[in-house]
Amino acid sequence: MSARFLLRKVLGAISTLAFVVTVNFFLFRVVNDDPTATMYRGRNMKPEQIASLRQKFNLDGSKWEQYLAYLRQLLRGDLGLSMKGSREVSAVIGEAIWPTLLLVGCSTLLAMLGITLGYRAGWRRGSGFDTSATSFSMLTYAMPDFWIGMVALGLFSVKLGWFPVSGLEDPGSAATGISQLLDQLHHMALPAIVLALAYVGEYMIVARSAMIETLSEDYLQLARAKGLRDAEVRRRHAVPNARLPVVSLSAINFGFVVGGAIAVESLFSWPGIGQLTSLAVKGPDFPVLQGLFLLLSAAVILANLVADLLYSRLDPRAGGR
Amino acid sequence: MSDLAQVSPRAFRWARRRASAAGFWRSLRRDKLALTSLVVLVLFVVLAVVAPWVSNRADFNVINTGDNPVWAKPSGQYLLGTDNYGRSVALQVLWGARVSLFVGVAATVLTIVLGTLVGISAGFFGGWIDAVLMRITDWFLVIPFLPFAIVLASVLGRSLWNIVFVIGITSWPSTARLVRSQVLSLRERLYVDRARALGGGRAHIIGRHILPNVTPLVLASTTLAVPISILTETTLAFLGLGDPTDVSWGGILDQARTAAAVTTNRWWYYLPPGVAIIMVVLAFTIFGRALEAILDPRLRDR
Amino acid sequence: MQHRSRGKGLWAIGVAGAALVASLATAPAGTAGAQYGGPPITLTVGLVQDIDTPNVTAGYLVSSYELWNLQYATLTDKAADDFSTIPGLAESWEASDDGLTYTYTLRAGLTWSDNEPLTADDVAWTINTSRDQEWLNHYSVTQNLTATAIDDVTVEITSAVPDPKLPTMDVYILPRHIWEAPSEGDITTYEALDGVGSGPFVLQEWKPGQEWVMTANGTYWGGQPAIDQVVFRVYTEGSTMVAALQDGELDVAHLVPAELFVQLQSEPGIVTVAGAPGGFSELAMNGMAGGLGDGHPALLDINVRHAIAHAIDRDALFDRVALGIGQREDTIGASADPVWTPEIPADQQLNYDPVEAERLLDAGGYLDTNGDGVREMPGGGQPLRLRYAERSESSQGPPLREFITAFLAEVGIATEVSVFDDTQLTDIIARGEYDLFVWGWTPFVDPDPLLSYFTCDQVTTDPDNPLYNDANWCSEEYDALYTEQNQELDRDRRIELVHQMITLFHNEATYVVLYHDADTQAYRTDRFEGWLQQPSGTGPVVFTNSSPTYANLRPIGSEAPTDTTAPGDTAAPGDTTAPGDTTASGGTAPVSTVAPAAPADDDSSTGLIIGILVGLLVVVGGVVLVLRSRSGRDDRE
Repeated sequence: MSARFLLRKVLGAISTLAFVVTVNFFLFRVVNDDPTATMYRGRNMKPEQIASLRQKFNLDGSKWEQYLAYLRQLLRGDLGLSMKGSREVSAVIGEAIWPTLLLVGCSTLLAMLGITLGYRAGWRRGSGFDTSATSFSMLTYAMPDFWIGMVALGLFSVKLGWFPVSGLEDPGSAATGISQLLDQLHHMALPAIVLALAYVGEYMIVARSAMIETLSEDYLQLARAKGLRDAEVRRRHAVPNARLPVVSLSAINFGFVVGGAIAVESLFSWPGIGQLTSLAVKGPDFPVLQGLFLLLSAAVILANLVADLLYSRLDPRAGGR
Repeated sequence: MSDLAQVSPRAFRWARRRASAAGFWRSLRRDKLALTSLVVLVLFVVLAVVAPWVSNRADFNVINTGDNPVWAKPSGQYLLGTDNYGRSVALQVLWGARVSLFVGVAATVLTIVLGTLVGISAGFFGGWIDAVLMRITDWFLVIPFLPFAIVLASVLGRSLWNIVFVIGITSWPSTARLVRSQVLSLRERLYVDRARALGGGRAHIIGRHILPNVTPLVLASTTLAVPISILTETTLAFLGLGDPTDVSWGGILDQARTAAAVTTNRWWYYLPPGVAIIMVVLAFTIFGRALEAILDPRLRDR
Repeated sequence: MQHRSRGKGLWAIGVAGAALVASLATAPAGTAGAQYGGPPITLTVGLVQDIDTPNVTAGYLVSSYELWNLQYATLTDKAADDFSTIPGLAESWEASDDGLTYTYTLRAGLTWSDNEPLTADDVAWTINTSRDQEWLNHYSVTQNLTATAIDDVTVEITSAVPDPKLPTMDVYILPRHIWEAPSEGDITTYEALDGVGSGPFVLQEWKPGQEWVMTANGTYWGGQPAIDQVVFRVYTEGSTMVAALQDGELDVAHLVPAELFVQLQSEPGIVTVAGAPGGFSELAMNGMAGGLGDGHPALLDINVRHAIAHAIDRDALFDRVALGIGQREDTIGASADPVWTPEIPADQQLNYDPVEAERLLDAGGYLDTNGDGVREMPGGGQPLRLRYAERSESSQGPPLREFITAFLAEVGIATEVSVFDDTQLTDIIARGEYDLFVWGWTPFVDPDPLLSYFTCDQVTTDPDNPLYNDANWCSEEYDALYTEQNQELDRDRRIELVHQMITLFHNEATYVVLYHDADTQAYRTDRFEGWLQQPSGTGPVVFTNSSPTYANLRPIGSEAPTDTTAPGDTAAPGDTTAPGDTTASGGTAPVSTVAPAAPADDDSSTGLIIGILVGLLVVVGGVVLVLRSRSGRDDRE
């Protein structure tokens, strides 16, 4: 991979991030001209306290000066104060991020089973397996993820009582070590499966068409003609080549899924980024929304960059472009 | 210019369009699944349109449902049962179709108009305009779609048009990219050069040559964008960002959750709107793909 | 925040080349149960509202009061039965002849939960500082008070005006050695996670949005509680909370949705309590007394306000939205004690009467001249199109809006709905930029604070400094009555004055009271006993005025404690019990054998096994996938 290519990709990511930061600032400053005005509503604030807050946000300066103050604040990792309980937004988000990574990580792993299914379907295009796999993925694509969650909750938690209805672990659980892990797995199983169902179709479709694309290449036709065993050809030649688009999809998706689990997390009261978002929307707690939007955008931008770099590493043809 | 010279090419164009429409129909008729989807779509649209004639919005206004049974199971009288205020679920789903379909279509139109404008400008003018427009497109393409829509919707406030605007503004970039690449290849084609040499203005070239040629592609991508818009509206409404005074499928699901329909096994409140969403989204997707395959034969084998 | 310091679980997950490490949230460790050698005895409370902050000078949500009720003892306590004033930190008190000064004597040997001594100096400091700094939750009581510590156990409190509330002193006493540190400018932003208090339980940990945990305070003057810790679990949905109660994950649930409350009433093993804390919901109209904003001019006409009241079928709201839980009342409730609430004479009641509503509007000249179904101001012009602010934080917000806007439409009044959270709504009300909203108040025991909200003094005139009068209404007659009752020491006469005020306010119809809300609660009977309703018979069991339930609860089967019934019922435990030396008394029954076992339920254990299997499948599947793709890569290179 050439240094110029690398540099261009990194610069592109930085420019996108700068765009997001700017949009983020102006979007919220338009609706909420004076963030201090709503910050301590209902609290007793002395004029000096309000003045010092105003100074912090540089509200008496021009919009441009306010923007610079916002940038300085961001560089210090300061996302401001939540309107609920005036806690640091960065701390609020920091607490929510691990449960989300856990849930999304596991559901993504599950959803990636779709890749294997997609390869098989593509390998035997038009077979019964292909038809049912494709129909299945179309169907799951058409279902809102939270609706799958509602049905699963109604059936497995309420009717059959197999899973707890909500949360990360049993309330006030003092369990540690392995029992804590099991408790958390038990709570996570249903939302993780629901999310996996919602995303498995996309992985399958991409893997399937990547496989079909690969199959049209001459050397594969040749390998098959030479009489190599079918499974052998698929494993040794087809799959490695069809992996390319799948890898970049996975990387990009991971960035999106962090923000995409919003409705499902809120349904299962899973204390992650998604639930935080839906609670902040109900507020609306603008400082928290602002911080979340920045974080999620940064995650996607980073994921895209990783995908680009992976792509160019795995496919030499892409490097020169 | 004589009359003959004016009529002739137009008649030719019409004949060509008739022929391609007939060919399109022939291809579509072979695809049973796509045809079924079309029937489903037409059915939903008809239901949504005639709702005010076959039923009365006031019939599921809470102040008029005081005498209805609450949480009635589906029966002959209430096809899909009633909710916690005695409102008929079937009526809500019927009227919800109006909002969901309207938002789906209106948001898509906005998406397509924006995307086509940007795509054509970038592709046709090239140079720095292209560079700037594509940079902006890339930015929007990377911003996570749902969080952006959520943030925008909570900033703007809850109304039908805001939802349309939010979906439109967050989903135009992929259309723009698609249109641009099409325009780029068209631009180089000979007849455009000839038209330019003959002294046709930019408006003329765009209006007469570029636009008609990107239309089929745009049409197919429209059909594929509607289900995405519908799903987005559903999610936003479920999160409580929908228009509070109107009923949409996502809004019904939100109400069902608030009314504890899930934890008390009142399946008739949350299953029907979900099934309606699935049917419409599937129908749009299948039909859109068929459309795409017919219009772009290269895709047919996929 | 130090939530993740202990019991870390580490998982490495490889995802498409990107490895991420997730640390699992930890559970609290080292609880009081350790002293018995068994697992801690835990009471789990479900609620739908997190605390806003543990900081008592800044928070204002109901859930936060529960935390403070448990963490901070007050000088005088309130009886569980009838709210009567009983000894708290103070074991006795004496009034001066002019009734302006009270001298309180503290119990001997009081200490804070960190074993620092609790003295009269803490009391005086809290009262004087809260007055000077105008602390949100103290000021209404302490604004006219001056406190002096005479010696370690004696504090003298003087009021500048005759104060019928004295000798009741129910403000939270804070530990000076902790709270002196945040300088005056910072006190409202102090995190207050110190967990130092003098009540039966103190804060151990707060996981915002999830739960907060309080542990028993061995130095509590009423003795060591029989339970070791209380977990307050926050749910985003009332329905999931109820499911958790039915599962046995919870012992008690607060604010059960009406729909589910009705269901729970017939469920064995669960007791439902529709507590009547006196709170009410009202439709408020912009009275425009502050001169701010842009309220609809029609609302200045009392006939329009009466027409709106007549247009709304409040019986339907009570039966179908509140499901008949609570009370159908005409007036505001100024106290948790119903004696302060007057009856409105039948001829003054503003009952459902759409014909009368239309007659009033017609007579006032509000006619629909352009035939669009909406009336206009007299002489045409501005239509009667009112902005309706809906609360996003109330589950009854949407149905109430749906009913009320439909009722108003019937008499030719149009509405435009916007949804706001409480912070935004407070702001909009302060700016006067509203016409209608539905909200509510929950009163204290003394009617004074709630009545004060509707005085002219409390009308907001500077939007940056919002005051309490959200009716935005002001009357000299009301104010005169308010001042009179505020200094009336004869209780019967004071009740009469309060009844007059409330009736006056009702007749103005700036507030149309929809109904008195019930605090719907449900608790399980299989694990704990000793639930106390405050006041007895009609009140809730948790989230009450002084929260006596918690210290009174004990696991079923354990020996009944000797002196930990409602604090204060015992004459003066301070005499015999040295705080901190709780082994001598205070309900230290042999509880180690009574672990709060989960209810035997075959279904849930099968579920657990299946859940674990599925969980394992996730892990194994993931590992296999990662390994496979790695081996594939090896093949290629």
